[in-house]
Amino acid sequence: MTTIRRFCCDDLLRFASVNLDHLTETFNMSFYMTYLARWPDYFHTAVNPGDRVMGYIMGKVEGQGESWHGHVTAVSVASEFRRQKLAKTLMHLLEEISDKMDKAYFVDLFVRASNMPAIRMYEKLGYVVYRRVLRYYSGEEDGLDMRKALSQDVDKKSIIPLKRPITPDELEYD
Amino acid sequence: MASKFGLAGGIPERRVRPIWDAVDSRQYKSALKLCTALLAKHPTSPYALALKALTLERMGKPDEALSVCLEAKELLYSNNIFHFDDLTLSTLQIVFQRLERLDLATSCYEYACTKYPNNLELMMGLFNCYVREYSYVKQQQTALRMYKTVGEERFLLWAVCSIQLQAYFSSGGEKLLAFAEALLKKHISSHSLHEPEALSLYVSILEQQAKYDAALEVLSGDLGSLMGREEDKLRLQGRLLTQACNYVAASEIYQKVLESCPDDWESFLHYLGCLLERDVKLPKPTTGEHTCSSCSVDSNKTSLSEEVESRLASALLFVQKLQKNDSSDSVRGPHLANIEIERQHRLSGNSTKFMEALVNYFHRFGHLSCSSSDVEIYLHMLSGDEITELLDTISRSFDASSVSVKALGLTITTFKVQELLGTLLSKSTTDLQRIAKGMVETFYKNLPLSRDLDPQESMHGEELLSMASNILVQLFWRTRNLGYLLEAVLVLEFGLTVRKHVWQYKITLVHLYSYLGALPLAHRWYVSLEVKNILLESVSHHILPQMLSSHCLQQTASLVKDYLRFMDDHLKESADLTCLAYRHRTYSKVIEFVQFKNRLQRSMQYLAVKSDSVILSLKQKSESLEEVESVLENVNHGGGLVDLSSEDNMKHLTFNEDLEARPWWTPTTSVNFLSEPIDESSTPACFRAKVCKHKSTEKDGPKMRDAERKCLVPRLVYLSMHGCVSSLRETEPNGSVSDITVGEMKTLLEKYARTIGYSMDDALSMILGISSGKKSMKDFAPDIVSWMSFAVFINAMNLWSNESVIPRTDPSSPSSWEIVDSLVKICIEEHLTDANRILTCPGNKIPLLVQMVTEPISWHLIIIQSCMRVVAPQGKKKKKSGPSLRPNMPQLQGIQRSVQCLIETLRSVQKWLSDQMSPEEQGLDILMSYLQGTGDEGPGQTFRVLEEKPAAHASELGDRIAQSLEAWSSTGVVRRIVGAEHEVLAEFKKMVDSKLKLLMSESASLSSVLH
Repeated sequence: MTTIRRFCCDDLLRFASVNLDHLTETFNMSFYMTYLARWPDYFHTAVNPGDRVMGYIMGKVEGQGESWHGHVTAVSVASEFRRQKLAKTLMHLLEEISDKMDKAYFVDLFVRASNMPAIRMYEKLGYVVYRRVLRYYSGEEDGLDMRKALSQDVDKKSIIPLKRPITPDELEYD
Repeated sequence: MASKFGLAGGIPERRVRPIWDAVDSRQYKSALKLCTALLAKHPTSPYALALKALTLERMGKPDEALSVCLEAKELLYSNNIFHFDDLTLSTLQIVFQRLERLDLATSCYEYACTKYPNNLELMMGLFNCYVREYSYVKQQQTALRMYKTVGEERFLLWAVCSIQLQAYFSSGGEKLLAFAEALLKKHISSHSLHEPEALSLYVSILEQQAKYDAALEVLSGDLGSLMGREEDKLRLQGRLLTQACNYVAASEIYQKVLESCPDDWESFLHYLGCLLERDVKLPKPTTGEHTCSSCSVDSNKTSLSEEVESRLASALLFVQKLQKNDSSDSVRGPHLANIEIERQHRLSGNSTKFMEALVNYFHRFGHLSCSSSDVEIYLHMLSGDEITELLDTISRSFDASSVSVKALGLTITTFKVQELLGTLLSKSTTDLQRIAKGMVETFYKNLPLSRDLDPQESMHGEELLSMASNILVQLFWRTRNLGYLLEAVLVLEFGLTVRKHVWQYKITLVHLYSYLGALPLAHRWYVSLEVKNILLESVSHHILPQMLSSHCLQQTASLVKDYLRFMDDHLKESADLTCLAYRHRTYSKVIEFVQFKNRLQRSMQYLAVKSDSVILSLKQKSESLEEVESVLENVNHGGGLVDLSSEDNMKHLTFNEDLEARPWWTPTTSVNFLSEPIDESSTPACFRAKVCKHKSTEKDGPKMRDAERKCLVPRLVYLSMHGCVSSLRETEPNGSVSDITVGEMKTLLEKYARTIGYSMDDALSMILGISSGKKSMKDFAPDIVSWMSFAVFINAMNLWSNESVIPRTDPSSPSSWEIVDSLVKICIEEHLTDANRILTCPGNKIPLLVQMVTEPISWHLIIIQSCMRVVAPQGKKKKKSGPSLRPNMPQLQGIQRSVQCLIETLRSVQKWLSDQMSPEEQGLDILMSYLQGTGDEGPGQTFRVLEEKPAAHASELGDRIAQSLEAWSSTGVVRRIVGAEHEVLAEFKKMVDSKLKLLMSESASLSSVLH
């Protein structure tokens, strides 16, 4: 019903129905293409039987030692295809790649502190709020750094929440 | 850039770092100061010069930057004492690239590599230069040299990639694939391969040569373990086996894929295709292929052979097993597969269970908002009776009166099925009114379901308002009653009042407002979509065509500018991203990036907007010859655009617009059903086929010819200006060497005529016929504006040419000036005759009038101004050479008559516009009166639902929704429409006023010359 495959450049011309959503950012070309060039396994799209783009996930893998982790940069589903767990499927795929292929310790993501529907969804998928990043979004809104431990992190050390919030310049990665 | 520190050309890092810091923080002045100080100490350091050039370029001084770069290059070439380092070269490269002189950067690296033949860093720099220039052969040679020098796997693969690029993009490149294969084999035998992407590249090289068995052998060997995910490997094996015609093995492999990914629809189709040994690729809903017989019951086909029957039976068993394995409702693939298997039966005449499969699907998933589009392709295969049966069955399966998410979902699905199939077309007007009203009521009734949703989340039932609005537009199309169109707008505006983020409503409103003549409102909604970056290429079509034919020159210019900047910038940086893909060894993306760059470069919209942008500047500046000249000078006098319209270029254009979200009544930019009368007899199937045909034939449509024609306009304006100057300067030496000839103009006008579908001779007799009243204006439709411009350019060419371009039968035949005059008069007046208020007659009348004034009339005015500049120069009245500007009396009289005619015509436009502009309250009353019918017939029923419901049930909706509804006012929406239409008329009138002012002053100068 859903074909999930690597995202390719041509999809950029077909994802309008996903990206016209007001919460989905349309990045500049070098942003997308850098992800494609560096982390092609972390950028997937789901298409329906009529070959329309239903949604996509983009992410990367980075860090050192025990902070080697997968990161979800964006996950978005067109409104017509919501409420059928497609985001979950896409998230699982990225987690599996981080876990099995890249042997990462955890997967993390940032979400607007006000975006309750998204936070609830990530919690359902097993993510916990690891720390709060003050004024992460355009210097205004706080972001929540949410994490899910992978099999490498046997003791789930990576997701023990930090006691205090941090500022964006304390972040290890962009 | 901050990382580019080090000891360069003997300069210590501490002296260099502040310069980079200053550049990075855009402190260019202080950067330049530091550079000057550095150069004082190291006057012959190429690196210091490169830094200075970099700073100058950033300061916007490209010429100085280039000369400093060249100085640095000279030093590098001439002097042996300097150590060649990549830092200097890469800094120079950055500047050269920004100056669009890739060739110079390449030659620096080439020189350096000859001098230091084994320096890997320099060779990598050179390789990147070739990537930026798309020189695949040289890329290949350089990569092989690197491979020979250090023997690293990645360099070999860079070379193989370069070979593959040649195979894709240059003729004869295929032969090289065997060479690439041999290189890889040799390397693998001694070193094996170590990267998944390397393996994929190797397999694709074999696949490209149709060596499927060899590829399969590689995959099943040790190297196969490089593939990261088992499913990916299996899919690849399946594809190769299919290509090798080993269907049994392929279907087994796909079966394995489906066992781990049961929802993978593509793999299921491959599986079934291999099992049946035939292509089961489904037609796409948008191509219209589904109306072809292959999808419907074909009685000629013999019944399924037993063999096929048994294979289908085994497929069914397999699919049923998959269904059992997953009891959740999130995996729909195996259930859809069931329908496909029954379709296969039906294809051979055995159709008993096809309907049953569809019904089962809807029973299980009908509440999901995508269920109808999941099975869209299958719905189109149903007969009329079957459709009725299906709808009845779904409707019976739930209680439509209950308020629940599931019942709402099913209600929406039944409507969607009807919308997809076009069955609503055959309903009566009364039924349609009832349905539209019912949809809005259902939306309203179910609003409480969304009361606890986050404001960011889409609400339940949002599609209902889109569908209701679609039906109302259809009612308008059928009855021409404006009230329905207003209701269509109101429904969507209401929806946006409930939740302001529904982009689907916004896009439909963009089109509705454009059609209603309220372009400012269309533009406002479009802007709220925040379309940017790549969406500019796929989504701009919703607004751009309307804006281009409007009075909003400034806002259009900014849309055009944003779009061109995006495209230009991307095409410039694209190769850098290809370099990045090489560096990160993502070979599959190297090929993809190059293909994508080609696709964007050949974009039809990009080509069209390039000429639109010049034409737009000409429109904006048309009242000042100096500014027109400078616009033209900046674009090589329009020559570049003419080159772009070459046959070869036009043949390879790509269409990247995402047409999916366009309303049903305007499936492409060049089609608007509302402008055509409805064909009552057309069946839903005919209509659907028509929509699909428009979408699939976009490429051959009028849009291509429009684009081709637009490419010619700037050059024609330039030649016209040039031509009338030469014609009036009688004393100009005849032998003056000028490469601009009337012959060129003739060739361009012949091409121009061809884009309207005429030969030059036929086009000439056409304009003669119409201007003399012998032919009807109707023959000009729909290219009326192009025809007028054609006549204007013909006049200019006639002035220039020694022999008359227009066949003149006798001396009393009209001059070319008179032809233009009467054409302009006839065409414009035709559009002013209708005394109805424009407010109540939506359509393209205003855009057409605006285009006539801003295009042909502007071009004609430019020609008149050019003539006048010769005979009555402004400013310095000193006549240096006296008689050289002696006026040509017959021409001058022609000009004078033309000016007079334009004045009269524009005055009539002016008057018409003034008559059309009425006080806002009056306009509001007129429009509201369309909505206030009280009976059960005619528009107004949906409107009343919107008026009455919100107030009545505020308490059930929750605070948030109730609050947002407080802002709702139908009158407010209608008032804004009236205001926007008024704004359009007023702005257009300003334009006409200004043209008239110019004409009056030309008329005065003419009188003084003539008397």
